[in-house]
Amino acid sequence: MSQTHITWIEGTVVENEIHMTIMELSQASHTPQDLIMAWVLEGVLSPAGATPQDWRFSGDSLKRAKTAAHLTHDLELNTSGVALALDLLDEITRLRNQLHHENRD
Amino acid sequence: MKFRDYYETLGVARGATEAEIKAAYRKLARKYHPDVNKEAGAEDQFKEIGEAYAVLKDTEKRAAYDRFGSNWKNGQDFSPPPNWNEGFEYADSSFGGGYEGGQSDFFESLFGRGAHRQGGQGSHPRQGMNFKGQDHHAKILIDIADAYNGAKRTIALHMPTQDASGHVTTQERKLDVSIPKGIKAGQNLRLSGQGGPGMGEGGPGDLYLEIDFHPDPIYRIDGKDVYLDLPLAPWEAALGTTVNVPTPAGSALELKIPAGTVASRKMRLKGKGIPSKEAGDLYVVPTIVLPSAQTDAQKEAYQTLAKAFDFNPRTHLKG
Repeated sequence: MSQTHITWIEGTVVENEIHMTIMELSQASHTPQDLIMAWVLEGVLSPAGATPQDWRFSGDSLKRAKTAAHLTHDLELNTSGVALALDLLDEITRLRNQLHHENRD
Repeated sequence: MKFRDYYETLGVARGATEAEIKAAYRKLARKYHPDVNKEAGAEDQFKEIGEAYAVLKDTEKRAAYDRFGSNWKNGQDFSPPPNWNEGFEYADSSFGGGYEGGQSDFFESLFGRGAHRQGGQGSHPRQGMNFKGQDHHAKILIDIADAYNGAKRTIALHMPTQDASGHVTTQERKLDVSIPKGIKAGQNLRLSGQGGPGMGEGGPGDLYLEIDFHPDPIYRIDGKDVYLDLPLAPWEAALGTTVNVPTPAGSALELKIPAGTVASRKMRLKGKGIPSKEAGDLYVVPTIVLPSAQTDAQKEAYQTLAKAFDFNPRTHLKG
């Protein structure tokens, strides 16, 4: 077999290594920046840093922002509705995991 | 092509008002939204509901659709009569949604591909000079072993691309990607510059690959921990033994089973889960398998067992 020349693309694991700016998060989650600001005010996302320019979003923010964007578009939820839905989804995930562990012990 | 009864999909009467259709859609969308409903099939159901709503909420599309009459049933073979939609004009509706694509053939042949697709909000620069390209997202499945050892994989992605006139076509694209060791389900791998092309001097967008594992016949994954069911013979559990246990890393481990091992009391192999700064653990969950007695000698062995024990497993039933 002949060895062809392949350049393997190296990626970066978002959850471990990346702290996104509001611009990057807006671009990656297809969400306007003002909506992201509204989510931060509502406590949906909690970036480090004092002002929007300094905000750095931790890796799991991307997943959260994507879910928030889906819920906003698909269910026409407003900001506080999205915040409540995400909190409840977190709680459901926590309870499911607990159930999963208890069934196993 | 199969006919789709959009009224049935939303569970409304053919004469339903706009408000009724909206209410029915919202209720079903909340129920089947893939972020909310994790059951298999929810996403397909959600797409069907979205498709039905995209047609029925739009006065023109609904009127055109209604011309087929009410005799068609869901799933019936169907081909649209020629010029069926003559005189109707649709604006590209902006049915939003992170969950794009996946319209039925039925929808596409009536209303065109991409008629209810909408690229993300606010990122379609139509004029101006320099814009960074759109970021793209895709899900890929990898083997558990890839997360242990790292891997190089060639993946095929189906990317919807929009041409200058706004038509959406799907293009296959092959990418040679290096999967980093220690990646976990649900994490995203960012490939810089592999997203949509930019405009002017704006660079291309990024591609985000959301990782999930192929279902595995042997291992179950929970975050960075891995579970493995280990079948034991009753005497192995009672007397103790040493067994070879496979690991997703590829190498087998010699595991000492202590005497008196109880089914489902898991054993933790610290640090043998998915590697990372703090590696996960590998849990071995013993199960005890009873052989059935076939030969006389085997039956005798069970009888000897019965005599040796004064054992009633039903004491808690007080029977």
